[in-house]
Amino acid sequence: MSDANLQTEAHPQTDKVTQRKWDNAAKAFDFMTGIGPDKRWGPYKSLMLANMKADAEILFLALGTGLDIQFFPPQRNIHAIDISPKMLENAQARIDQYDGSIHAQTMDVHQMSFEKEKFNQVFTSCTFCSVPNPIGGLKALYQVMKPGADLYMFEHTGSKRYPFKLMMDLMTPLTSRVGPDMNRSTIENVQQAGFNIQQVNNVYLDVVKIIHATKPQ
Amino acid sequence: MENRPYFIFGDLVANLSVGILSALLCAALFDIDNNMFFAMIVGMLVGMILAMILGAGLFFRYFGAMEVMIPTSLTGMIAGMIVSMWAAMGPMSTSGAIFLGAFSAVLSLIITYRLQAEISGIQEGV
Repeated sequence: MSDANLQTEAHPQTDKVTQRKWDNAAKAFDFMTGIGPDKRWGPYKSLMLANMKADAEILFLALGTGLDIQFFPPQRNIHAIDISPKMLENAQARIDQYDGSIHAQTMDVHQMSFEKEKFNQVFTSCTFCSVPNPIGGLKALYQVMKPGADLYMFEHTGSKRYPFKLMMDLMTPLTSRVGPDMNRSTIENVQQAGFNIQQVNNVYLDVVKIIHATKPQ
Repeated sequence: MENRPYFIFGDLVANLSVGILSALLCAALFDIDNNMFFAMIVGMLVGMILAMILGAGLFFRYFGAMEVMIPTSLTGMIAGMIVSMWAAMGPMSTSGAIFLGAFSAVLSLIITYRLQAEISGIQEGV
């Protein structure tokens, strides 16, 4: 069983608009994503999360309702944050069932209270499609990572291929009202935040991908 | 490339549904009195919006998010464009609209599966 610790008090400067959006989405989140996306992406998420090291300080960004916990390797010590306290409340049962330690906190990536250069590894899962200021959020992650630390991201991004690029640009004004943006340039954002890209694994077209980047030494 | 029968079946059902419904809707919306270019643009948007509504309401939950949204949106755009143009040029039968909707679905799946086979996988040091 998990050595769980759920803290739902957020920083006073937390982005309340984004928090409200994801609080509203929390009720239907498992219903919308719990079968299809979970099974479709499960093998790839398992592959990425298998990189969690037993002796590492690990940060998992945007835990949501904890659907990804099933893919965590056992016996890891993981700090997990999410901007939405409602999401984390729904994650509690999954946190309790994890065979390891998950310390979950309500926290905005732009306002993290962790000490500088704390983490050896940071993992994100469908996160930077929704962070309002993605480069700012990635720079905040950079601050809390040790030199040489690994950043693993499972993200959906915009496409560079037509007609998909046009479609996703047209969809984004609608989808961003209730959930994620469809046309983010996440690889470029990671590079702009100062990380070195090591590998990109295209999971679905050039849209869903696993990005492995490192903070320079 | 996706090789799990459950998801291949899901892709087919989702795209055929979106293609045929988009085609029928556009065949009902447009006729010979409409400007062909206007019908084509509006038909594309109608197909794409219908794909998003059906995707979010029915298919994402069971068959995946992006893997459903992208091909069905393409299906909706193609079906909406072709059928709207056709309807603006002359009579469009129900069976003709259904055929063009199904054709759009198969075409969209061929395009996305082929592209997936081409570009999926690992890229080092991007």
